[in-house]
This record gives sequence, C-alpha cells and structure tokens, in this order.
Amino acid sequence: MAKTISLIVNGKPYSGEAESRTLLAHFLRDGLRLTGTHLGCVVGRCGACTVLWNGRAVKSCMVFAVQADGDEIVTVEGLAQDKRLHPLQESFWKNDAVECGYCTPGMLMSAYGLLSKGNKPTEEQIKRAISGNLCRCTGYGNIVAAIKEAALNFTK
Amino acid sequence: MDFPINAPIGERVRRKETERFVTGRGRYVDDLLPPGTLHVSFVRSTCAHARIQSMDVDAARAMPGVRAVFTGKEIAQHVKPLRVGGSSMLRTVKLYPLAVDKVRYFGEPLAVVVADNRYLAEDAVDAVSVDYELLPAVIDPEAAMEPGAAVVHEDVGGNIVYKYHFATDGIDKVFQAADVVVKERIRSHRITACPIEPRAYLAQYNKEEDSLTMWSATANPHSLRGRIAEVLSFPEGKIRVIAPDVGGSFGVKIQTYQEELLLPYLSRELGRPIKWCETRVEHMRNGRHGRDQIHYIEMALTKDGTMLGIRDKIIADMGSTYTVDHSILAAALYMTGVYQIQNYAVEALGISTNKTTHGSLRGIGKADASYILERLVDIAALELKMDPIDIRMKNFIPADAFPYRNVTGALYDSGQYHLAMKRTAEIAGYEHLRKEQADLRKKGIYRGIGVALVMEPTSSSRIHATGGYASCRLRIDPSGAATVFSSMGEQGQGHETTIAQIVASQTGIPFDQITVIHGDTLPTPYGFGTGSSRSSVVLMPSAWVAGKLMRDKILGIAARRLNVVPEKLEIGDGQVFAKENSSQSIAVMEIIRTAYGAIHLLPENMEPGLEVTGYFVNPNIDYTPDDKGRMNTFSSYPYAAVIAVVDVDVETGMINIVRYCTVHDCGNMINPQIVETQHQGSIMQGIGAALFEELRYGEDGQLLSSTFMDYRLPSVEEMPALALEHIVTPNPFTPLGAKGAGETGMLGPPPALCNAVEDALSPLSVKIRETPLTPDRILDLIEKAQAKAANG
Repeated sequence: MAKTISLIVNGKPYSGEAESRTLLAHFLRDGLRLTGTHLGCVVGRCGACTVLWNGRAVKSCMVFAVQADGDEIVTVEGLAQDKRLHPLQESFWKNDAVECGYCTPGMLMSAYGLLSKGNKPTEEQIKRAISGNLCRCTGYGNIVAAIKEAALNFTK
Repeated sequence: MDFPINAPIGERVRRKETERFVTGRGRYVDDLLPPGTLHVSFVRSTCAHARIQSMDVDAARAMPGVRAVFTGKEIAQHVKPLRVGGSSMLRTVKLYPLAVDKVRYFGEPLAVVVADNRYLAEDAVDAVSVDYELLPAVIDPEAAMEPGAAVVHEDVGGNIVYKYHFATDGIDKVFQAADVVVKERIRSHRITACPIEPRAYLAQYNKEEDSLTMWSATANPHSLRGRIAEVLSFPEGKIRVIAPDVGGSFGVKIQTYQEELLLPYLSRELGRPIKWCETRVEHMRNGRHGRDQIHYIEMALTKDGTMLGIRDKIIADMGSTYTVDHSILAAALYMTGVYQIQNYAVEALGISTNKTTHGSLRGIGKADASYILERLVDIAALELKMDPIDIRMKNFIPADAFPYRNVTGALYDSGQYHLAMKRTAEIAGYEHLRKEQADLRKKGIYRGIGVALVMEPTSSSRIHATGGYASCRLRIDPSGAATVFSSMGEQGQGHETTIAQIVASQTGIPFDQITVIHGDTLPTPYGFGTGSSRSSVVLMPSAWVAGKLMRDKILGIAARRLNVVPEKLEIGDGQVFAKENSSQSIAVMEIIRTAYGAIHLLPENMEPGLEVTGYFVNPNIDYTPDDKGRMNTFSSYPYAAVIAVVDVDVETGMINIVRYCTVHDCGNMINPQIVETQHQGSIMQGIGAALFEELRYGEDGQLLSSTFMDYRLPSVEEMPALALEHIVTPNPFTPLGAKGAGETGMLGPPPALCNAVEDALSPLSVKIRETPLTPDRILDLIEKAQAKAANG
C-alpha cells in the first residue's frame, strides 16, 4: 500500500509516495534523489546510511519511510550552508579522514549527531558515537582526529 | 635515473576529491538512475553442489512489475562463456553469466529477474522454484584431492587445477645436514575484502547508435570492456565502460564477475537501462574470497640460528570457478621472504572446491607467505631459545646486497631491513618491554610481544595477464588549465591528487588548475586495473613521462621565442625564463597561445596543440623463466617491521592490542599524507584478518558468515595505539623512486599478533596454528594446552 508522506529534509518540505515497506534510505535516495546517503549492508551495521531523524543519528536502512512521516531529517547534503563547508566537513578534509568516500556521509552524520548535543566530547565519546560506522579505508585514526578538531569550533 | 623531484611532489597536499565526498556529491553507480531504468535481482543457489534438474519461473514471470525472467540455460544460448584460468599451470574453465546445468557454490546465480524496482524483483525471485539433485559438497581442499572425491569441474577431470614445482639442487642434503629442523602445518584462513560499497553495475544500450555504456564499480574498466565485447560478440569500440566514484576495492573489484557480463546483454535485449546493486549478503557469498592456504612447511637451521633452507607444500583452496593463480604463485615465489636463504623447494597445488571463487584480495598470496614464514621464524626462535629479533637480524638480507636476487629469481629493488627492525625496537622500547613483561607475568597479566618483518612484492606483471604498463594523456587547454586522462581508475587511492602533483611539478601549471579524469574507457588511454599496488610504480611514472614530454614542448616553444636553448630555461610563476637572466622571459600563457593559435611561431617540425601521452613500462620484470625456472614477476618490494604488544585475558579469551609499532619503507612518497592514511587503513584491515574476520563454511557448503553481524569488520573501538614511522629507501627502477604502498600494512598484523599472543600465552604452552584469534579459539587453545599439561 502506497501512502503519501511529508517530511522536512534539510530544512525543506518534501512529500512523496512510499510503500509501507520502503526504507527511509531508499525514499531519500530514489524518491528525493538525495544520493549522499549510502547503503553498505542494510542490516544496520555499516552506518553508511546514517542520517539525523528528529535530531538523533539513526541508520536510515533500519527505518521505514512511513515511520518518519511528518518528521525532520538531516542528510549529508544539509551540512554545508550557503556553499560554505560545515566545520566537520572542513576538518574531515584537512585531516585526510576520507579515502573512497563511501562511508563518509554516515561518519559525518554520526559525528554531527554527537556534536549537536552541545558538549565538547571526549575521545571515548567520539569513538562511541562512530562505533556503528565502518570504514575500510582509513583505519579510523584520522576520522577521530577530524571530529576532535571540529568539536573545538562547532556551532550547531 | 636523472629526475628532479620538485614540489609539489613529496608534499602533504590536501586531496582534490575529498570536497565532493564530504558534501554528498560523490557519484557512485547506485547514485545513477537514467530514465526508464529496470532493476535486477538474482535467483541464487541454496546448495553448494548440485545438478539443476528443473526450474519453474512461470509464477515469477506473472508477478507485478516483472518485465523478464531468464534462466542460465536461456542466457547460455546468447552469451558466450568467458574462458578463465588458462596459464601454463592453471586449467581453463568456462564462466557463464548464470549457472547452466550445475551449481558449484552456495549463492551462485542461476536465474535473473528484471522488474520495475528492486523490491518487486526480489518478490519475484522468491516465486522461482528450483529442483536440485544434490551432489556431495567438496569443502575440505585436502579431502578434495583424495581419489573418489566428488569433482567440481568434470571437464577438467579432477579437483587439482593448478600445479607448480620449484627446487634448488641438493635441498634434501641441506635438511639432512642441518642442526635443527622445525616443521609445521599452518593455515591462512579464508577472508574477503569487504569494501563498504558492494559491487554495482548499470548497463545502457543505445539503440540509435547501437552502442553500449556500462557503469561499473570496477577497478579494471579497460579489461572489462574487452570481456563484454568477447561474451556478447559486440564491437569493443562501441562499448564504453565508466567506473565513476568507486567505494573501495582492495582487490575484490578488479576481476570480472558473472553478473557484470549479464547486465549488458539484458539491456540490449530489453532496450532499457538495467541496474543491479549487490546486497552485502550477496557480496559475502559471491565477491571473490582470499587467503585460505594450507602450508606444510619446514625450515633447516644451524645451532646458531642461521637459516639454511625451506621446504614447503602449499595446498590452496581456489573455490569453485577459479579465475587466477596469482595467489598460489606469489606465495610459492616468496616463501623465503626477507632472509638470505638460497636453498628452497616448493610444491604448490591449487584445489577446486564448492566454495565461492577465490581471487584478488589486498596482499594476495604474499600475505599468506609472509604470515606463514614469520610464524615459522618465531617457532624456530623458540626451538633455539633465541630472541625473535636476534634470529631475524642474523638472517636478513643486508642493505648492501640490493638489488637482491632471491632463490626463485625475484629481484628485490632495495631495502634496509636491519635498520627498520632496529628502529622499530627503539620506538617500541623493546628491552624495557621484555622486563615489563616479566614483571606483569608475576602479577598474572599475560602480556605478549610479537615481532615480524613483512615484505610485499608489488606491481606484478605476467604474460597475457596484467600490469605491463600504465599511461596518462595530458592536455593543456587554450585557457591554461590542464586535464590528465589516467589509464587506471581509483577507489580511494587519491590519484586525482597525486597525478596533479606530478604534472604541476613538471609543467608549472598550478595544482588547482589540473583535473584528473579516470575510470572511463572513452577518453582515457588503455591500461590495466588498479591492483598489486601498481599505481605508484607504473601509473605515477607515466604521469611523470607525460609531464616531461609537455615540459619539453613548452621549453621548446619558449626557446624559439626567446632565442635561448631549452637547457638554459626554467619554468616558474607562470613564466619561462632564462636561468642566467630571468628578465629574459615569456609567459606560459603566451606559449599556450602560440601552440594553439600562432603556430607559425612554433619550432620547425613541432606539432601544434599541447597534448601528449606518457607511457611507463613496469620495470624490473622477467616474462619468461631462466633455465632453472627462476623469474621476477613483481617490480618493487616495500616492507614493514612490526612490534605488536598485546594483553590476553585468559578468562575471556579477549585480546587487547596495547601498542602497534611499525616502520614502513615504500621508497619515495609522492604525498606522505595519502601514504600514511592508506597505511593505517591497511594495518586495520590486517588486524581484522588476524583477530575477527573469517568466512566459515558448514560441512554442507553453506556460508555461515554472510552478513556484517557474523563477519566482523574492525570498528573504531578496535583501533590500537599506533606508532608509525617511515624510512625511505628509493626504488632504483622507477623515476619517482616509489614502491607500492597499499598493501604492506595489511601483512603485518597476522604474523605480529599471532606471535604476540603465542608469546603472551607461552607460560601455558599454547601453540597457535589456526586463525583468526577469536576469544572462543583462544579459550579453546588454553583449555587444550591445560588438558595436555595435566595428562603429562
């Protein structure tokens, strides 16, 4: 059964048709063509599909689109404002925290979810926040360094 | 070689490509959706070895949104099989896009559904019923060699599909005369690469042009193009393969797959774009697997620890439709590793089984060799009561012996093994570590120190196989910006940045004004896939050659305009000027205008325009063996010394890596930042291989670890404290002095961590011969060792 759902994505209202079984990740990618959100396992382990759902970082392959009806979603495309990179994006670039780029949007959104809470996180908290995001290229060290640096000049 | 290594070569320049990745603007195959695209899902075998008796696809054809269903038999009438294997040592088999009469591994595709979307395609897959006549599953490679074992490929005649033999004269005498012989059976377990982006393909047939475009998450676009042409009997010139952004490969995407050959056929047949993105479960079951070699290996030594010789028998599990033999040959050629051992014998057998096809994986074959050798060295050290560093230092090939011809004919370009080991021991504080270990043991803490020095043969080339050369075409546009068309695609290696660094250094065109195009067979010159860490050994030098040709052309034009010989000219700050009188100068832009629009001012016989192609042939390669069967099939030899420190919790079996210290030498680095990041990731992948990851098969051939829930990749939580340093011994065979850099990291953890854990558990006499070192395996080993001790 298809249903029309409405969401606020990256601050803009969207509506579209979703089957009851359509995953939020597929709705964002195929329906709204926001392809920055990636799929790597579809069992909630790799985290490449992480988005913010009402302010919380979630894996969008674990959510049905209809569950998010009326809610607010932020994807990686929503981080940069007025063509200016978000401090997290700048910091990932500067710290060489990206190789193939496939896990990157999910990493950024998990980090964004953590930093949005407002406190300056410890290294342990940073690791905890991205422990559900797998990266096969970088070995994580530069990603942790990037998030640590971004936390210093982060404004929500 | 005379070569000016000018900035920005060698600088930690930020990657060009990162900006699009952090903003979600990367473009991977799954991000493409041409209008009218249909989606594919595969019916896959639910058993490991069976004859297909019948298949009923009628119900599936009637399902909503289904456009077509094809069985393997139907496809075989229209698509030629790919002939794979076929070296002098490897038997040839035919690879059809879908299984025809028989399935040979769990998950093999045997029918395909095309539907309006993926959800509907998968619904229809569930409606296909298949009747199988079960055959005995051939799972254990040693049992597969026995007479009477079921045969995977009847037309090959048996399960031994590959044989290689090499022996030096008098090897048996060396073993008879030795003071000590250590002998072991060691197995490297089966793992897979697991890039976070699974495979993904999109084929679009254009009826008007009778042409075909294939977007593939491949690491080998030019070869793929030829193979599609072969199986479809379609002109190669009308096929364009595009590898857009590719989300990692680590070897697994360099080979051609069954599904990859089928999609172009479907698109031509149905007249619509056809897309398939692999699920993770499919990737674990169908993506190429790696490692899985059993070695019966022995080493002869003198009492003082001098290594005299090695004898080895390798039994390699190739899986079902084996495609390459590099894994076995690389292991067989490099079992003597970094040591001065000139007596060696090996018998290597490749065995076909009912497991997923074996293929490329970061460190293919070389990781098996270095793991098993470095384990054996520790076992020998224990037998001789020698320190693991001392026995290595005693036997390393000395720095002044390079280029060094090893016993199988490999020519190692350069290295400073003693220095790397010594420096690693300094960083680790080795002497202090040993004292600390003794104190901790008194407190009941099982701390272990593991030593290894791993060497990674990189940039392979073999006749009719891969990697003989790479190429870059370089164009300076009339606007003054430059474009480089690279023969090799990238999957995270940073070519867009490093190629631009090289071209900027040669031509004076600013780094920001250089764009690198790769992965598209239409504009790029021919070349082989991104694997064997050959980018830095052949691709980057080809960019350097292109840069040099362009530089010569710019200087030639300036020479005529300034009336100064080219040798006395220099490029800098957008000008070409006389070295002895910098006021005698001409703007680079003026030279560009001359090349395109004022060609009457060009030197005599110079072609107009600014476009050149640089080729670089893989150096230091033998394509045929000498009379003793010796040859060099890899061109450069990076290495890393490692000391790993671990604590083992004997109650839980958990291993904590306290510190991982390593000194890496990959020669000159074009961009040290890129090397370091890649090396860290490579080490982490090796930690996963040593401690967590394993493809496990049941006796019936079912793959038991086919999701990320049961095949565990290391996460950030498993990241150890890492002390990483480089030493630089330039490669004398390439103009940039670089060796391969992508794989050495992955080789270190398996031997270093196993050596460390065995060292930690030495008070309990635990011996490690099987991996990965999961907590349950550690507890099991401790229990067995205790039972053995109790029974005297």
